[in-house]
Amino acid sequence: MNPMLRKEMRLSALLLTYLFMAFGFMTLIPGYPILCGVFFITLGLFQSFQSAREANDIVFSALLPVAKRDVVKGKFQFAMLIELGGFALMAALTVLRMTALADAPVYRQNALMNANPFYLGTALLMFGLFNAIFVGGFFRTGYKLGKPFVLYIIAAFLVIGAAEALHHFPGLGALNAFGFEHIGLQLALLLGGALLYAAITYLAYRKACADFEKIDL
Amino acid sequence: MSIVSVAGVCKTYPAFRLKDVSFSLERGKITGFIGRNGAGKTTTIKSMLNLIHTDSGEVSYFGIPLSGHETEIKQRIGYSTGTVSWYPRKTIREIVDVTRTFYPNWDGEAYRRYMELFALDENKKPMELSEGMKVKFNLLLALSHRAEVLILDEPTSGLDPFSRDELLDLFRTLKEHGVTILFSTHITSDLEKCADNIIYISRGEIRADCPKADFMRDCGKADETLEEVFLRLEKEARA
Repeated sequence: MNPMLRKEMRLSALLLTYLFMAFGFMTLIPGYPILCGVFFITLGLFQSFQSAREANDIVFSALLPVAKRDVVKGKFQFAMLIELGGFALMAALTVLRMTALADAPVYRQNALMNANPFYLGTALLMFGLFNAIFVGGFFRTGYKLGKPFVLYIIAAFLVIGAAEALHHFPGLGALNAFGFEHIGLQLALLLGGALLYAAITYLAYRKACADFEKIDL
Repeated sequence: MSIVSVAGVCKTYPAFRLKDVSFSLERGKITGFIGRNGAGKTTTIKSMLNLIHTDSGEVSYFGIPLSGHETEIKQRIGYSTGTVSWYPRKTIREIVDVTRTFYPNWDGEAYRRYMELFALDENKKPMELSEGMKVKFNLLLALSHRAEVLILDEPTSGLDPFSRDELLDLFRTLKEHGVTILFSTHITSDLEKCADNIIYISRGEIRADCPKADFMRDCGKADETLEEVFLRLEKEARA
């Protein structure tokens, strides 16, 4: 493990952030907008950013023998660690709902979004938006958290609303597939979400490095 | 031999301007950086650590420009700033355990020696330390990786007279081992005890950069102490 990620995990992070990964279990809640679990996982990350700011973490990090871009890299790596940890839990529970629980009435009668690969792809898109809007926005100043988080909340709930609504539109019912129905389309949507996550995060990281290089600490 | 060079550094803020700051530090010398609050000491030090973006100018260490070589240079320098509290709710042990992994040159023996000298308890958290003990903890981090250059921003503020005296003794010992020290202060009696050179900054401009004896000869009057010279120069500048 590189020293900067270790520093993020041991000094900058709150225990709460790790605990909030358990919001991935919301994947199992029937009759609930399960993408909210993604929001709660990112809320845990927000708490760590807030706590780190009060601990003078950014200046401490910038004084270590690292380049300024490594400070940015550490934050992105930590965010991705939590996101992908939460995602792994969500993916495992989604597989459970697609197999053993595929015909469970409580899920079959669910008017809201089903847990399937499209759900996972959308979750990755939301994580990517968190990285771009919140983490990237934070590095524009190195201390302002409120505005980027509010902007992320708006974006996140627009995505949740859209993802919940889409399968009700004519011709888009396959988005809410159960079990392995429409698996080709579903996996393509998951892949699309993964590609978007990777691309958005990479571009956000590059921009954050450039922004952070310019600011005064 | 010059080991640190600050050349033509300018930085403009809405209400303050650092104007063409240039000086160099010699190996194995203690340089006192004096100036009143807001004169530009911390801005200069921040520019020496790449914490702020300067409008122009260059900072180099060991003949290598800081820009583009930040990682290797920071391995060889130590920085401490007064009473800033890093990770107030983590123990000193936790902070040090992480910090040491960044320094291949971390000196465990020196670390334990300074822990004892500063009477710090590894199980304490920065939030539990007095202001003076926070200063000592910050110094501990700066001193424990065999730094060749120490940049210390107000290292003696908040320390009791006994601790201050111990610290100045430590500076003299480090100097004998070839360590270069720049420390900013407005406690001029500290400089009288141990500084070889004086850099005096006022309103963002370097007004003097010379050996302490030359500073006293050129700027002082008969029987004036360093503090009296400093106060008079400031009053004259404001008049």
